Amino acid sequence: MGSSADTLVFLRSVRLFRTIEGPELGILADSLRERPLKRGQVLLREGDTGDEMFLVRAGSLVISKGVTGRVEQVLARVGPGDFFGEMALFDRSPRSATIQADSDAMLLVLDRAALTKLTEVSPRAAAAFFESLVLIFIERLRASGDLVAEVTRWGLEATGLDVESR
Amino acid sequence: MSERSATPRRARLELLVRHDEEGGAGFEVRQIGSGVAFIQSRPQRVAEDSFELAEVASRVDGQCSFILKNTATDRFLLLSEPEKFLWEKMDGRTSLQQIATAYVLRYGQFDFDIVPHLIRKLQRAQLLTMTPTSRLRQALARHRGRQVAKIAESALFALERINVSSRNVQSAFDGLYRWGGFLLFTRTAVLACVVLAVVGLAAGVRLWPEADRVVAGFGKNPLIAVVSVKLLFLLTVGAHQLVHGLALVHYGRRVREFGFTFLHGFVPTFYVDVTDIFMGSRKARVVTAVSGTLVHLVLGSAWLVVALYAPLGSFLQAFAAASGMIQWQAFVVALYPFCFIEMDGYHVLVDLLGLPTLKHDAIAFAGSLLRGRRLRRFTRQEALFAAYVVVSTVSVAAFIAFNVWLIVHAS
Repeated sequence: MGSSADTLVFLRSVRLFRTIEGPELGILADSLRERPLKRGQVLLREGDTGDEMFLVRAGSLVISKGVTGRVEQVLARVGPGDFFGEMALFDRSPRSATIQADSDAMLLVLDRAALTKLTEVSPRAAAAFFESLVLIFIERLRASGDLVAEVTRWGLEATGLDVESR
Repeated sequence: MSERSATPRRARLELLVRHDEEGGAGFEVRQIGSGVAFIQSRPQRVAEDSFELAEVASRVDGQCSFILKNTATDRFLLLSEPEKFLWEKMDGRTSLQQIATAYVLRYGQFDFDIVPHLIRKLQRAQLLTMTPTSRLRQALARHRGRQVAKIAESALFALERINVSSRNVQSAFDGLYRWGGFLLFTRTAVLACVVLAVVGLAAGVRLWPEADRVVAGFGKNPLIAVVSVKLLFLLTVGAHQLVHGLALVHYGRRVREFGFTFLHGFVPTFYVDVTDIFMGSRKARVVTAVSGTLVHLVLGSAWLVVALYAPLGSFLQAFAAASGMIQWQAFVVALYPFCFIEMDGYHVLVDLLGLPTLKHDAIAFAGSLLRGRRLRRFTRQEALFAAYVVVSTVSVAAFIAFNVWLIVHAS
């Protein structure tokens, strides 16, 4: 278990919180709770409900989406400083993917109540947080586009389908 | 965006595969390149009543071409003779890798563009569908609701994951060849092998009348002893594959991979990738196929000689005799082409006949007869298919009967 001071130091190194000032970040650090995961353990499954987002403090996790039977497509791998699960935090819809630990991992959990508290205590800090979040969303949207293109290219190469001369 | 180069890298999919159906904790991540998926795909031509094929002989150079017509869309394709050969292999059961091998065996060379080019042509004319997975796995997946199928699929899945191999073995095989492996491919080695085989056979003949007293050496646990003999035998399969690899080095070809796996998900075996020998001469292919099996002949003969000189009724004698028997059996089975198993002798046979998909075509032909196809005079090829199925069936039955008799007798 890391101390609150350690958590604060860690949060300062995370891109999502880099623009938040010290005192407000301290409030946020106090409201985070730790969640250890063993290698191979599933944190949450596609379709689960929940309103928490997770920040990876140590270890690595795989984000996947079901394809068929026991096979899932890997959407992304996340490591220290990355976060995930934020979509359900905002829209409360079922989880869109399954998350499992690729190695022993330690997560920090941010729930809706903690985010509301930050917004109430320091609207400026909350605005900085949301701005960082939007920038990271844009990057992920671009990465999703690249993934779609890669999967399409894979399908064309694997089947030998020639669409250019049709 | 990713960089563009003259030859862009092949796309890869990263898939997570769970170890059990309930989505438990265990999983593994596999990267699958589009190239691997392509060569393992099984192109399937449209149904027989959806196309017509007509031969067109050129009056200029005497070469034959073929017109392939899609009767559903009225689209026509012109196929060369090699393309027609490939088209006939596209039955949904033969992978592109196997089709390419068949092509090499038939024409003695390979044009790397011909298969993808033909596939594109056939797809444009809507004459092809693609089936990517094995029929066994498809059948098991379809019946997952049944406990037995589910257990079988899980077991196959677990065993399939066990694969210890290396693709960086060429230097090891080169070294092994330099440090004595080359001796196996000399006239002296062949002569020694023949002498040892004769001596071993003579030892076996002399032991045969004493068979009851020999097997009595196993004492009260004959089955455990037989199992231990089989386990020892498994190690010699490794030596068999090593010699195949040395034969490749002997003919200046490349050993692409060596490893251990569970064949079809349930047969433990060592393996070596000898596909590069297809680029060699027919003699090289035959020597490569036969050389590995000679390991069993040599070991089998040596064991029988040991059994002959061991004290009568001792455990050593029983163990040596059983090991000799199983090695000789392995030698015969590996070289005997008529047993529905594509082992070394089968590869030599299909190479000599120029029928790389003999087993597959023969079984399909037998199946059509069993489904009530109208009997008429067989063509020469059909007669060959029928003979293959009949001889193989009788051989397998005889092999099973012999082993049952052996175990019953030993017990």
